[in-house]
Amino acid sequence: MKAIIFFGLTAMTAIGLAQDHSGHQMAGMKKQTELPAMPTDIPGWLNAPGADHLFYKAARYNWAINRIPKFAKDMYATGVGHAMAYEALVRGEASTLETKTFDKINWVLKHPPAMPVDEGAISPTFLRKYGYLEKVFDWAHTLHFQTIDVFAHPGWTDEQKEKEIERLWEFYEAQPYAITGLPMNMDYLDSFPYSMKFRTDYPKVNGLFWGYHWLQTVNYDMLYRVPVKDQASQYEVLGARYHETELYKTDRDFMPMMAEMSPRFAKRFPQIANAFDNLHMLHDNVNDILAQPQLTEAQKQEQVKIAIYRVLATTHKGETPGDSEGKENTLHDHRHPPSMPGMGWMKGSEDDIMWMSGMGWMDMSACSHCSIPMPEGNPWGATVSAEGWTMMVRCLMCARDMAGETPGRAIIRAATNDPNRLLVLISDEEGNWTSNIEGIVFLEKFGEHPECSGWSRAFTTLAALEKYVADNPEYKDTKPLTLAEWAALNHATPDTYRKIDKPNPYKPGPPPSNGGGR
Amino acid sequence: MKGLFIGAGLVLSSLVPASDHNNIEAGRPLRFDDAYSIAFRERAFEFGLTLDTFRRRGPSYGNKTEFKYGFAKNQDISVAIEPTYSSPERRGDLGNVEIGYFNGLRRQIDDAPALAYRVDVGLPTGRDAKGLDLRFRGIATKALGQYDKVHLNLDLNMNTSPGPGEHRHTVGAVLGYSTPLGYPRRFDQTLVADFAVQQSKKQGEGYVGSVGLGLRRQVSPQAVFDIGVTSDLFSAKGAERRPFRLAIGYSVSF
Repeated sequence: MKAIIFFGLTAMTAIGLAQDHSGHQMAGMKKQTELPAMPTDIPGWLNAPGADHLFYKAARYNWAINRIPKFAKDMYATGVGHAMAYEALVRGEASTLETKTFDKINWVLKHPPAMPVDEGAISPTFLRKYGYLEKVFDWAHTLHFQTIDVFAHPGWTDEQKEKEIERLWEFYEAQPYAITGLPMNMDYLDSFPYSMKFRTDYPKVNGLFWGYHWLQTVNYDMLYRVPVKDQASQYEVLGARYHETELYKTDRDFMPMMAEMSPRFAKRFPQIANAFDNLHMLHDNVNDILAQPQLTEAQKQEQVKIAIYRVLATTHKGETPGDSEGKENTLHDHRHPPSMPGMGWMKGSEDDIMWMSGMGWMDMSACSHCSIPMPEGNPWGATVSAEGWTMMVRCLMCARDMAGETPGRAIIRAATNDPNRLLVLISDEEGNWTSNIEGIVFLEKFGEHPECSGWSRAFTTLAALEKYVADNPEYKDTKPLTLAEWAALNHATPDTYRKIDKPNPYKPGPPPSNGGGR
Repeated sequence: MKGLFIGAGLVLSSLVPASDHNNIEAGRPLRFDDAYSIAFRERAFEFGLTLDTFRRRGPSYGNKTEFKYGFAKNQDISVAIEPTYSSPERRGDLGNVEIGYFNGLRRQIDDAPALAYRVDVGLPTGRDAKGLDLRFRGIATKALGQYDKVHLNLDLNMNTSPGPGEHRHTVGAVLGYSTPLGYPRRFDQTLVADFAVQQSKKQGEGYVGSVGLGLRRQVSPQAVFDIGVTSDLFSAKGAERRPFRLAIGYSVSF
């Protein structure tokens, strides 16, 4: 009888939770009505009593993040938010989240600490209850910081850094707390009876969380293959955006994804990009579980363990990216956009087409400006960061014109003739560009967009441009452009651009007036 | 004796990343450990200067250097040496080389305290030293309220070759307290305090009771500065008291 009553209560709780946010059901998976059950192969360490603190990989690059002081401090402050919110939730202070707790977190974000903080010390009550979860978070955060340190380290070539990033991944993956580097179905991971509870009930604090997830994801393209001397100047733009806007957005459709914010890095290191997205999804799951008053303490403990289990590397051992045969919309659905292995499957996705919050439907295989497929191999084109998003484009012309259509400051990162010299252009509010390469010269002979990656290029020297022209005589009458001359050009939105008209899969109602595109 | 060992097993010593102001270690700057080892694969150097004053003789100075290594999860080993200089005797002493082993048995889970133990062996490398100095310390750490913590350390000390008039075994206990200073606006310093009772080594002498107060402050991601003062409050049966002890230290992990 006792068992029957317990089962009945559990089922009623689950159904109650599932109905809680039925208004969010749109394209994609339907919210599940039953709480997930404890798997039989849950790892033993989840119930082990040891503290199990792990030290980071010893290396000379450690703490190189401090070479970009503003960025380092903002990153250190991100350790405070979840810790304070979790502490409030487990101490029965959920009613303070949007007021007192928000103010406490916000104060720290506005006055960031000069050194990393011990999250466990800020949330001691949470740690005593969910110490096993802290092991997963701590280990993934260590990977976060060390990968950043590698890129911020001035002593190595890009190739050395990339090899070390791969070694860091192996170092990370060797521990049982490692999160899988496989792409996961984000729609599935956000479909449990408790899902979306936190972002719905506590939009301001959730905005802060997703705001610093934005920071934690946007920084990789700021650093990847960018000379160390050119990293801090980009953070002047990104940091301002972070503090003025991103932290306080409450209208995001979904958490920021690595491949949305740092597409070049996500393409090069898909395991790490996926692991960070899976980590952030685990954060969201835990937020939702802890914020769900209908769950008992024991149910919360069990659901947090199940949420950890879902994203552990050990749970997906032997599985491969892209594999979904017969497992679509399940835990073992590892589909990704074909052109972006560092991105899990999103709500409403179709091959390379996915909804990007703030941008609408985008085709990840195509230039965001001219809609023509991205070129294979090098040069890889450019990225544009503006208004909080980062997009890949085919050529410098697309980058400049796309940035020109966007209010506010922008950053362009573009390939040059020298694969070891990345061009970083930063604009002010009026669209005046500065370059990290003195004497940069541009070739631009406006023609058909499908060939734009051939006729719109940057060269580190005039001699390099002349050599390119000598090898490609069709440009022999094209005048080399200085930065000022190049920046003055604008060809507006190309006629090849194709807007994808589909409704927002995350929000009910008709498509927005812009058709869901940018 | 059996009871003493059980007590020691319940309460032996200390910590999490050594160079973390939240992780309390004996000597840095007070006498107690918390129940967490340094992190797996962490290496740490700890340097300390001490000034001890006495009622019946001049001050002595110590300079301790310790190396720690987290060789496994929740376990570390350490090697330390503390040369001292005694002003009344006008001579220095290299001191004993101490080798330590720490084992963190469990973290605090709900209301059950974190438990650990440590074993230290002092090799007779110092002037006039004989035999081995052994110390078994049991450690428990438990939260008190939200951020405050109490730490109970129980010690059983043993010398394999005690001198004339010296105990072979002595016992001691330390009740420590730690709390972060500055929350929720700053996260880089911890206030520590302790109350300790230690049996005198000399036969016929009683216990010495003392209190201490200190601060641990993070000065870089890898380094912690600490400072503390200790004073012996009482002694029984003529045991020697130290009215004032100053300890200053610097710990760095890598």
